[in-house]
Amino acid sequence: MIPGIDRDSRPWWEALSRHELVHQRCDDCGRWRWPPRAMCGECGSFAWSWQPVTGDGVVVSHIRTHHSFLPGIEAPYSTVFVALAEQDDVVLPGFWRGDSEPAIGQAVRAVFVDQEGGESLLGWR
Amino acid sequence: MRDRAAIVGVGYTPFTKDSGVSTLALALQAISAACADAGLTVADLDGVSTHRVGDSVQAAVVAQALGMHDPRFVSDQFGGGSMSHTTVAQAAMAVATGVAETVVCWRAINSRSEFRMGGTGRPPPDVVEFQYQVPYGYATPPQQFAVMARAYLERFGLGREALGQVAVRQRQSASTNERAVMRTPFTMDDYLGARWIVEPLCLLDCCLETDGAVALVVTSAERARDLPHVPALVSGAVWGGGHTLFSNHRGDLTTTAAADSSRRLWSMAGVGPDDVDVACLYDAFTPLVLVQLEDYGFCGKGEAAGFYADTSMPINPHGGHLSEGYVHGLNHVAAAVGALRAGAEVALSTGQPGYVAGSTSAVVLKADR
Ligand SMILES: [Zn+2]
Repeated sequence: MIPGIDRDSRPWWEALSRHELVHQRCDDCGRWRWPPRAMCGECGSFAWSWQPVTGDGVVVSHIRTHHSFLPGIEAPYSTVFVALAEQDDVVLPGFWRGDSEPAIGQAVRAVFVDQEGGESLLGWR
Repeated sequence: MRDRAAIVGVGYTPFTKDSGVSTLALALQAISAACADAGLTVADLDGVSTHRVGDSVQAAVVAQALGMHDPRFVSDQFGGGSMSHTTVAQAAMAVATGVAETVVCWRAINSRSEFRMGGTGRPPPDVVEFQYQVPYGYATPPQQFAVMARAYLERFGLGREALGQVAVRQRQSASTNERAVMRTPFTMDDYLGARWIVEPLCLLDCCLETDGAVALVVTSAERARDLPHVPALVSGAVWGGGHTLFSNHRGDLTTTAAADSSRRLWSMAGVGPDDVDVACLYDAFTPLVLVQLEDYGFCGKGEAAGFYADTSMPINPHGGHLSEGYVHGLNHVAAAVGALRAGAEVALSTGQPGYVAGSTSAVVLKADR
């Protein structure tokens, strides 16, 4: 169960559950937008489309949580923050699915992590 | 609005792990104490200003409880520590423009016993970005600031001692502050041996969660001169925003919104970092102190660890959120006012610098002697 899905974000989540990583892109200035919203903050345009991204990115930070803050997720676990290859100010969090601990600057690719309710989340490796 | 309004009264409740009373009761206690400190009564108040994140009593309810029948100014902002200093900024604006004469600002929280920021037993605040974070087990402030800490330490090739020096020194400062929740000093070895919370942050990098309230009375600079304490003039007050971890505006993870807003702050106040006698920097987590020393212009990017080690400027002399208690920024303003009354001329006090909440706020105060 993903809390707080809204009218702007629902298509992003639905695509993710189809194992498609898409992002909004401004039809006028070409800027990638994150998180989803109705207007381009760069040029003011309301024209945009969902476009696929490669799923390639670079780790910009990573943390290891040793305290179980949330039910259902057992500590310790690592979380990574990845800047997309398409535009480096689109930073996505995700589960770490690499073989060794992540490192800042490491090139990674997205994987889809299926959840019990039918949704998918992002992992990186 | 430079120097048009001043902080003339400061009120505290005790800082505890369980106040046993409502946030309304805490607010009323701190406000009454602040009025008494200012040589005023609650009947002199005609405006109220607070901030909260669904974790405290509404401003209008407090105004009513104070017996204000027709408050001239009511500001009730959504936000946590990032918005803390806007309570003072807006009160000063209201006074400077004549909308109100005497406004009380406060923050009242039971953040240990009722509403922990880590989210024990309550839904997360209504923040759009949370949906992209919570499913990954990424939802709490220590995790958010661990992201910054990792990027900062790696980018500038620093060890954990860079953060540890802040934790050690602030506890030392708190050891003589009878209000402080934590007063027992510890060493760098103690710091390095403390348990992890979220790597690279350990227990001693994290602020306390506290029950308590702080209130500040703001009135005109003219009226302030007739009151008992040295007025703390509001010389500069600033809002900033736009940079969150997932905002699509962020250039790097080691710079905050304060890097932009601080320029306006110094310009408005007519002073600069070199003029500051005491700095109360928002310290929910140790890396924030270092990053703000850079973003407020005390030193260059990446230089804060060395600056902190060498400077004689008091930084969080009350012990800060790490050791005095966590009243979300307003105990920093109160400490700054205290330092001015005790002889300092210029103080900087800051809110959370906009790393996660998309906004920040800060004030520069000057003693009017
Ligand atoms: Zn555009």
